[in-house]
Amino acid sequence: MRHLNIYIIITIATLALLPLLGNAQQYTGTSGMAHIPTGEMHHEGDAFIGAHFLNKSMMPDTGFLYPANGGEKYNTFDYYLALAPFSWLELSFVCTERIRSKDAQGNITKWSKDRYASVKIQPLKEGKHHPAIAIGCNDFATAAFYEDRPDVQLYFLNWYVASTKHFNFSGNEIGLTLAYRYFFRDYNSKWNGIVGGITFRPSFFPEARLMAEYTGNEFITGMDVLLWQHLRLQASLKNFKYFYGGACLQFNLLGKKYQY
Amino acid sequence: MRHPCSFLPHRPLLAVFLALSLWAGQPKMLTAQSTSPSLDLFSGVDFNFRDINFNTQYEFLIRLSPGFKWDMGHHWQLAGQVMIPIVNQYGDGTRYVQLNMLNVSKELQLGQLYLKGTAGLFSEVLTQNRYGLDLKAFWPLCDWFAFEGQAGWVGIVIMNSDWFISPMDRYAWTAGADIYLSKWNTQLRFSGGKYLYQDYGYEIEAMRHFNHTTVSVYGLWNNVNYFDAGFRVVIALPPYHRKHRTVNFRPASNWRMSYTTMYHIFTNRMYCTDPEENERDGWFSRDLLQWGSHTMQPDFIYKTTNTNETP
Repeated sequence: MRHLNIYIIITIATLALLPLLGNAQQYTGTSGMAHIPTGEMHHEGDAFIGAHFLNKSMMPDTGFLYPANGGEKYNTFDYYLALAPFSWLELSFVCTERIRSKDAQGNITKWSKDRYASVKIQPLKEGKHHPAIAIGCNDFATAAFYEDRPDVQLYFLNWYVASTKHFNFSGNEIGLTLAYRYFFRDYNSKWNGIVGGITFRPSFFPEARLMAEYTGNEFITGMDVLLWQHLRLQASLKNFKYFYGGACLQFNLLGKKYQY
Repeated sequence: MRHPCSFLPHRPLLAVFLALSLWAGQPKMLTAQSTSPSLDLFSGVDFNFRDINFNTQYEFLIRLSPGFKWDMGHHWQLAGQVMIPIVNQYGDGTRYVQLNMLNVSKELQLGQLYLKGTAGLFSEVLTQNRYGLDLKAFWPLCDWFAFEGQAGWVGIVIMNSDWFISPMDRYAWTAGADIYLSKWNTQLRFSGGKYLYQDYGYEIEAMRHFNHTTVSVYGLWNNVNYFDAGFRVVIALPPYHRKHRTVNFRPASNWRMSYTTMYHIFTNRMYCTDPEENERDGWFSRDLLQWGSHTMQPDFIYKTTNTNETP
């Protein structure tokens, strides 16, 4: 009963953010849902600078300097720059903060960061009868040199192929995504395999998007929204319990204006 | 082959501007770039950060970068710049006000070949400067392909906590090619050669030019540190509509950031000869060289206010 109350409170609080609170696998700056990629792409010229809170439940199972935190996983955050130089290409550069050391009182004294670059390419745009298809990879640059070396930690290295199809009902938009994703290292292998999700963009407030997704290991529900054409917010709950979200500033470098 | 002194056929927009100016003595005229002799006084912010220290994750060096450009006409220019540290976590070497650049340059066109010669003090990296002679060349073969080259004969100057000047005993050069895809405002650049620290290497860069912003990714190789890669961002700073007077006070024309993954700052390194040098604008003035990003809508529209100014 107590858990149900917490769930209701969190759900109401999250929904309450809706008017204040897009399409992004936002913790990397590339397009997608909360954690899974989609076949969609950002608009050509869209640039992002943002930060994302990463719940410890969404972090790698081992490594990531966990010994500096007594061997425990911890909440952290990342920050990123991302750009869609063309309508078929997205690039991003992400830094994820790690605890490097703590003092005797348990206060964090040093941080360090893990860096990776992401690329996403859309070879097939969405058509009337077929979905959009995109392929992508996180941490492709490091993987190119070190993928065959187990001692090199590639926490976020994964590649994927994703397809997304949208349907309109009275101005409301429903998007269906199906993707296959593969993480190269064991500490993230729980997210390997078929993943997917559904999005809903209401006609009365198309800047907002509700989403539910299956990551291969858990369910995530959430929402994101683009405010004043420049501020994108995302909030989500893993298994209806663990918060996961962030904010970014968005600009179109070609000077174009989009509703979302 | 065009005659070296041919003028109007190369720059139809400028020719139209000149004709209209002479015809009506327009009190105000919009131009892509004024060519009147003028003095520009400007300042930007030199923003540096690094993460190479286990004890401090990020270290910052933020400096004001006031400078001047005296455009003496006929593409002669005297330029200077000073660095004034505001935030300094890079150590003692960068805590002093530093003369960063002082040189005279001349751009000219010889047929299809564009040349820029510079003599004086050049900026290099952080606490270090170079002095000497520099020659840059750009040879557009067509609208989308061009060759480029740079050669320098320089010595080291250090002017902060210590004073040091070396003989002009170092030669550096690069040569390469540029491809510009106007439909996508995308530029591919390849250059290689013998760099300032006498390393050999090459660099490949892909630039996407947007309105007022250029973003590029690059990869490089040299015989000392081997591979590195990163990205660059160049943002033309507002205001984009400016008045052109004989003396102009303005912000710096651009803000530039270059991110290198491995912090190999002493390889694949050349100096800068212009206080506002950047990859978006290239080496040559927009009114002289109409190639690449110079064929896009200009970042700055100048409104002349002095009817007696002669472009």
